[in-house]
Amino acid sequence: MEVNNTNLANQIQDPTKSPSGLKILWKEIVRDKLALVSLILLTLITVFVYGIAFVLDQDEIVRVDLFAIHEPPSEEFILGTDYGGRDIFGQLIIGTRNSLSIGFLVTAISGIFGIAFGLIAGYFGGYTDNAMMRVLDFFQVLPFTMLVIVFVSIVPNYTILAFSIIMAAFNWMGIARLIRSKALQEKELDYVQASKTLGTSHTKIIFREVMPNISSLIIVTMTLNLAANIGIESGLSFLGFGFPESTPSLGTLLSYATNPQTLEYRWWIWVPAAILILVMMLMVRNVGEALRRATDARQRRG
Amino acid sequence: MAILKVNDLKVYFPIKAGIFNRTVDHVKAVDGVSFSIEQGKTYGLVGESGSGKTTTGRAVIGLESIYSGKVMFNGKDITNFGRKNSALRKDVQMIFQDPYSSLNPRKRILDIIAEPLRNFENLSMQEEKKRVQSLLEIVGLSPESILKYPHEFSGGQRQRIGIARAIAVRPKLIIADEPVSALDVSVQAQVLNFMQDIQKELNLTYLFISHDLGIVKHMCDDIAIMYKGRYVEQGTTADIFNNPQHIYTKRLVSAIPDINPRNREKQYHFRQEVQREYANSYNDYFDSEGLAYGLQPISDTHLVALPERG
Repeated sequence: MEVNNTNLANQIQDPTKSPSGLKILWKEIVRDKLALVSLILLTLITVFVYGIAFVLDQDEIVRVDLFAIHEPPSEEFILGTDYGGRDIFGQLIIGTRNSLSIGFLVTAISGIFGIAFGLIAGYFGGYTDNAMMRVLDFFQVLPFTMLVIVFVSIVPNYTILAFSIIMAAFNWMGIARLIRSKALQEKELDYVQASKTLGTSHTKIIFREVMPNISSLIIVTMTLNLAANIGIESGLSFLGFGFPESTPSLGTLLSYATNPQTLEYRWWIWVPAAILILVMMLMVRNVGEALRRATDARQRRG
Repeated sequence: MAILKVNDLKVYFPIKAGIFNRTVDHVKAVDGVSFSIEQGKTYGLVGESGSGKTTTGRAVIGLESIYSGKVMFNGKDITNFGRKNSALRKDVQMIFQDPYSSLNPRKRILDIIAEPLRNFENLSMQEEKKRVQSLLEIVGLSPESILKYPHEFSGGQRQRIGIARAIAVRPKLIIADEPVSALDVSVQAQVLNFMQDIQKELNLTYLFISHDLGIVKHMCDDIAIMYKGRYVEQGTTADIFNNPQHIYTKRLVSAIPDINPRNREKQYHFRQEVQREYANSYNDYFDSEGLAYGLQPISDTHLVALPERG
């Protein structure tokens, strides 16, 4: 009760600020210690990984060194080496960077497309909505993993961007569905009708009126998607359809554990990668959960 | 010449059913409504919930698609004009019923009131700001509040922001859809008097939709009573209140409370009598489906829905 009172007092003291939106999301994260710690750690990991990866020389790391095969952790190799004598620590850093980049890119591309798709379908409704949702249904019944594997193997230039676009092409449906349902609700409100009578164009109404009003939902969904998308690259690399060994990735490091010898005796090759994936996904999820709670006033802690 | 002329307006909503989602029937929300409004007058549209009065207003401004009939504005046909003719759109504006949902919560007052200005007039930022401030002054709000958000205002203030937005581009016709029904009584009077003031000032025409007979009597020059999508009676305010002809109108008028306690007994008996008459002669005034008949003129201004008599 005391907590609520101080919040109320803050709002009264500062009437120029809107209590809705970003501020509530931020307050909820601060209130939830787990989410706050997760956010800080996540930021640190991201900065650390991108910073070090910038200094590291990828060609140097992936060069095969037959005199240093399966070295345990030592002063020279902080986390030891793999079966090609390659430095695990360097691979871990660059692999994490790749996984994170792909996670962000896939989330951004699929998010932007899915939001636009959902908003347009929901706002216009009727036949437009019906036609667009059938297209979406078609994408949803496609076997995702199979198609990604096929596309991945026919793409000539295998870069992070190409990979992300392929992934995003099969990943926008969930968010589109969610945004559509919200847009269907929102367009019935009087302020949208008012904008129509005031002569505002459809495009402007969709992106300037409706979208800002569902922004908290967008932020929450994107965050929760990010957690899933970071794992996707690792999963495909683990199956052998991710990046080649010349491009380190967390999934490749994990897949070394399919060798029983490595699994039992050379923990340094796969344990750090496994922990990193677990920790990153959990932390993004913690933040996302806090944000999701913030959008529902009954579940809010802050 | 009438500024707005509506001829045999019909708004039907389809009822869909079956696996092919075919239209099997229609809900006749507005079923053959005709009226015309003179420049500078207020035309009242009264009826119970679901009688189609709001739908009529929304159809005139183009928010509902019209099944059949004609809407003429200043002699031009604007039936289903959508967003094609922006000059016409500028001349017809709407005040919404709910002041809480009709203002976008994410926009500042400046952006809300400037929305029609940005669509119809090319103003510089400075001019726009000045216009918005003067509009706020007209509706009796502080010009400093342009940077505030809607939730920082009370219901009455919000409704006045809605009115400021509607009069921003100097329209000729304003459709007021129950503009005060969400406000408490003291604020209602404030907003209504204010609407009358700007009507004189800007020579506005109102299509005033309401279910409150007291307000309609106060505001309107002409009144139409709607029931189940049809007109039951139409006439000047005096016609309707002093000489109600249709049984439904009589019932409505008798339901207006009288604040004089001495008349309590009399009112009570009068209502009983009207109720009895309503029960007895219901079949004379409504057809087999319970709908009103076509309008018959009983004087120059007064039309009543009565069955055609031989």
